[in-house]
Amino acid sequence: MKIQFTPEQLALRDELRQYFRTLMTPELRAECERDMGEGGGPLWREALRQMGRDGWIGLGWPQALGGRGLTPLEQFIFVEEVMRAGYPFPFLTTESVGPMLAEHGNAWIQREIVPKILAGELLIAIGYSEPGAGTDLANLKTRAERDGDDWVINGQKMWTSLAHFCDYTWLAVRTDPEAAKKHKGISMFLVPNADPGWSCTPVNTLGGVRTNATYYDNIRVSDDHRVGELHGGWKLITGQLNRERLSLINFGPSAELFNATVRWARDTELPAGGRVIDAPWVQMNLARCRAAIECMKLIVYKQSWAMTEGSLDMADASAAKVYGSETFIELYRALGEIVGQAGLLRDGAGGDSARRLERLYRTASIITFGGGTNEIQRDIISAAGLWMPRASR
Amino acid sequence: MDFGFSSEQQDIRQLARQILGEQVSAESLKPYDEYATVRFDADLWRTLGQAGLTAIPVSASEGGGGFGFMELALLLEEVGRSIAPVPMLSHCVGGLMVLQRFADSALKQRLLAPAVAGDVLLGAAVLEAGNENPADPRLTRAEVTAEGLRLNGTKQAVPFARQADYLLVAARHGEEVAVCFVDTRAPGVTLEDCQSTAFEPQAHLVLENVEVAAPWVLAATGGAAIMDWLAERLSAAHCAHQLGVADAAMRMAATYTSERQQFGVPVATFQAVGHRMANCYIDIECLRLATYQACSLLHDECEAGVETHIAKIWAGDTGHRVSYATQHVHGGMGIDRDYSLWRYCLWLRHNEMTLGGSSVHLAELGRRLAAGEGLFA
Repeated sequence: MKIQFTPEQLALRDELRQYFRTLMTPELRAECERDMGEGGGPLWREALRQMGRDGWIGLGWPQALGGRGLTPLEQFIFVEEVMRAGYPFPFLTTESVGPMLAEHGNAWIQREIVPKILAGELLIAIGYSEPGAGTDLANLKTRAERDGDDWVINGQKMWTSLAHFCDYTWLAVRTDPEAAKKHKGISMFLVPNADPGWSCTPVNTLGGVRTNATYYDNIRVSDDHRVGELHGGWKLITGQLNRERLSLINFGPSAELFNATVRWARDTELPAGGRVIDAPWVQMNLARCRAAIECMKLIVYKQSWAMTEGSLDMADASAAKVYGSETFIELYRALGEIVGQAGLLRDGAGGDSARRLERLYRTASIITFGGGTNEIQRDIISAAGLWMPRASR
Repeated sequence: MDFGFSSEQQDIRQLARQILGEQVSAESLKPYDEYATVRFDADLWRTLGQAGLTAIPVSASEGGGGFGFMELALLLEEVGRSIAPVPMLSHCVGGLMVLQRFADSALKQRLLAPAVAGDVLLGAAVLEAGNENPADPRLTRAEVTAEGLRLNGTKQAVPFARQADYLLVAARHGEEVAVCFVDTRAPGVTLEDCQSTAFEPQAHLVLENVEVAAPWVLAATGGAAIMDWLAERLSAAHCAHQLGVADAAMRMAATYTSERQQFGVPVATFQAVGHRMANCYIDIECLRLATYQACSLLHDECEAGVETHIAKIWAGDTGHRVSYATQHVHGGMGIDRDYSLWRYCLWLRHNEMTLGGSSVHLAELGRRLAAGEGLFA
């Protein structure tokens, strides 16, 4: 039991902070801001390729796959720092789908796809939800049918976030309509978004973030594009979601926002006299946030350590997702109360913390249901963590 | 970064769990309810001593287990899990650890050696009425005399005061704080029994011109630093105890709701019940991580003021929420004295409030943040 980084890991963190101070130019920052913290612009893409060339994206990946062979903890330090620097890192590609492709992908995928992910040259969207399949994901209808040596894919997906600037879609499709249990008839494919049968329309959300509906019209792919076993897709979906749940919870940006808000409250004089931070309720709000973020930090540290040990626990991954997603919302509220009216100004006139809080508060709800709704996560916790029987569904 | 346990740490947990599991039960705890008998199982205490568990944090050269605060915390977690009627926390943290760290060799010879051997029971009197800061005594005064110290004043609700042979006491003189061990049988010492929510043996310690000879004085001046050191460890130790209590209560509720049938199905299958338990699981995981972090930092004598406040905030919040959630999902059984959950709920409250509830620690954490401390690295 030692909950501290090694001197080498601390040095790595410092090196990364220095690296991102240089990488995050004002122009790149402005572009990310314009894109609502989602990325996708030309400067954003070039910065990602730069990180790939500098060997950062695959820091914790095995050398055989083109990585640098450090542990998931170093990988975690990198992801925390890149997010903390304000760069919208495509963690769904690099930290959740990528490792699944590395583990389960065939020779073509290992050769053509994985190295490009580590090079920052290839992005993947996730195609799970459909109009009739949300929380009950196994109810999906999009299908792949065998035609000679190829597969022909038809269907529609919802909430295919980032798909409008991604290169492939990690697509869950039905390959066995006759399977006795519906989750036994699903397979995973990697579908090229450049295919003429692939199309996408925007879905605009409360926070201003764009997501998509995507359409798959007679897309023909070779069997190389199938990932893992035929009809064995459910295991890949749950494996990917476990990783996604972890990568959704980044404490780095919250720590940075907290620090910035404390500094602002210490430095800001009120017209009536005294500093913002002198008010007892401000100190209480900050203390609550500090205690809450500390546990977010410890939860993600523990998960990274567990990944290093190869002992990632399903209940703990769900606990991280529930705790993190619900804590984000409370943080944005409590810190938003401190910056006050300025936290409603979209134009940034109220300062940097206030501007971030205005946006974050609007965009925070997505993680409580995205990545597997928190009700399902709580079901998983009570069943896998406490061995309580579940209602049959 | 290592969230795992060493093999020695696993052995300590295992040994403690085995002894406490065998010797503590709802039946064995029943006689202590409502102070019908003194809540101190001397046989169990002896067994734990023979197993080497009551001197875990003392160095091997001084006859102890040769481990540190982290191992003691894991042991206290097990004591909490069983709510065992033993003075592990007050003896080990308030007595042994303070002596080990601050006593000179003469006092170690006099007090630490017999305490390690199990011949002397130690404790600490750290609270005063309306004053929960152990490092800032207001109601206990010291005079520095030619022979040592003369003490007057009152300490409140001292755990195992009547069973202890010596109690650690801090007293003010002018702007200074003196710290010493007081013989509970010395002239001028009066113990007034008091009854506390969880039936822990406690007494108010009244000191009237109590003479403490120089060899028993840890610090005639500068004692506030010792008491700050102790307060952090007592606080973290209560968090570790709380963790064990809360985890046991949660698992009791998970088991009960998995077996209890209504409408022909286990009540655990109702999503509302499962989700309330999932919330307990998350709360307890937060308490666990915050506690282990504080304890491992304190173990290494690292600065851990902010981390200890955070752990105690979680001990308070988690204790409160787990107590009511587990009572609730048990229905009437949760409060029925013929079932064992109710005692756990009392201890959750004890640990929540002892050495300050969540709001006290939030206010102190907020004060530190306002002073520029405690930002994330």
